[in-house]
Amino acid sequence: MTIGIGGAGSKLSALLDPHNLIINVSEIELEKVRAEEKLLAVLHSEKGQRRGARKNPLLGAEAFASIKVRLMDRIKGELVFASTGGGTGNGICSQILNELAAQKEVPEEERTRFGLLVPYAPQESAEYVKNTIDFLSGPVSRAVDSGNTGNIFLFSNREKYEKRLSEPRFNEQLVASLRNFLDIPARGAALPLLEGHIDYEDFDLYLSRPFFNYFTSFELGGEEDFGSLLARHANPYLLQPDAPIEALFFLELPTGWDPTVFYRVVDHLVRSSAAPIFSVAENPERQRPFITLSLLYSRKPEGLVADFQRIAQTHDEERIRKSVEQQVTLRPQRVDLEQEARKAGQRAGKSEEDVLSVLRRIGKLR
Amino acid sequence: MSPLFERQVDKLREGHFLVLYWVARAEDTGHAYNITNAFDDLKAQGITRTKQTAVAMIEALDALDFLRLQGQGNRKHLLITEDGARALERLVHKGAFQPRRSSFLEAQS
Repeated sequence: MTIGIGGAGSKLSALLDPHNLIINVSEIELEKVRAEEKLLAVLHSEKGQRRGARKNPLLGAEAFASIKVRLMDRIKGELVFASTGGGTGNGICSQILNELAAQKEVPEEERTRFGLLVPYAPQESAEYVKNTIDFLSGPVSRAVDSGNTGNIFLFSNREKYEKRLSEPRFNEQLVASLRNFLDIPARGAALPLLEGHIDYEDFDLYLSRPFFNYFTSFELGGEEDFGSLLARHANPYLLQPDAPIEALFFLELPTGWDPTVFYRVVDHLVRSSAAPIFSVAENPERQRPFITLSLLYSRKPEGLVADFQRIAQTHDEERIRKSVEQQVTLRPQRVDLEQEARKAGQRAGKSEEDVLSVLRRIGKLR
Repeated sequence: MSPLFERQVDKLREGHFLVLYWVARAEDTGHAYNITNAFDDLKAQGITRTKQTAVAMIEALDALDFLRLQGQGNRKHLLITEDGARALERLVHKGAFQPRRSSFLEAQS
């Protein structure tokens, strides 16, 4: 079962898994998405719940209280989707992360995995970027530090904007990419194994590690260095990884192909200090070796926040520049420096000193 | 500083603060400041529109022994007492109010 929170989270969960639970603060939004179960988070509103959280995470956080007990039980060991830019996904998910961070220790099999959709900062509104900065620097940072979450997938809207994709098309591609990764144990079980073994338990254990997960898949071609192949076939739906800590790969080989090709991958990962768990299987449908690789990295959320802040600052500077340019003629202002100095002095507490010095001069204050 | 004194000072409002401040300033510059001057200044600062209120504020400060009145009728000359100075000092430290200009004192300088 997957759980989708908010508009974007619900759509992704519906695409990945028909047995899903979606959560929203708006009845209208809940009706729009197909789901096995739907949960309305209650906002105290005198106008009924036809409106969403209006990009305000505080509203989402408030609504979380109404579903806290049910939700915290349901998310155990599941995958939760939410976007970080809006109000509902960000608000409710931040409360989940805070709750997890406050727990003493969450057993591995109960750790929740998160699929977080991060806005593409250069082209999305400053409000989304600000919400994301607050989300990453607060709840995500605390939850990662607590070690009580499973893998966190940081999906990015970049591909959608750069390739000018419609939202349904982008979501389909993103989910197809994720499904290819999540299907590793199923494919491993269906195909004849040549080397290694990743069963459902191994895979689950990997998903319960409290790190960011980056995955990608591509054909292993020619003699090209594996590192440059990996860089060339970066997953466009995920934020780029930092130095990996752990790795997992599933290599599918055409019938009769030399299975030792997997050493190229292992060598590269060992050089990056991330000895992998892996599985090599024979897939007669493949014409060339095909690898699905995942890297776990613990990039500090501060790094991500710094990226977003840099972009948010550029946005602000651009906005200020535009508004200055629109004010074509700026009238000169007459400034009485003496008066300004007096005001500044008063603001800095000089008036306080003035009053007391008057009292001392007249001998009333000793 | 006794608890009673603290409670008394805490009950003072901006009008009381300004009167104490202007009286001290007038004493510092050697000018006589009276009830009419205090009413004019309070009115100019929008603190009150009636003379009764201005008089009530000054009487309250007098009753608390924060001010001393010298002379007769509306020409009574106001002076700050040592307790008044301590009360003003406490209000300044609390940052409760900001001093404002007195038309009377500006006209004298």
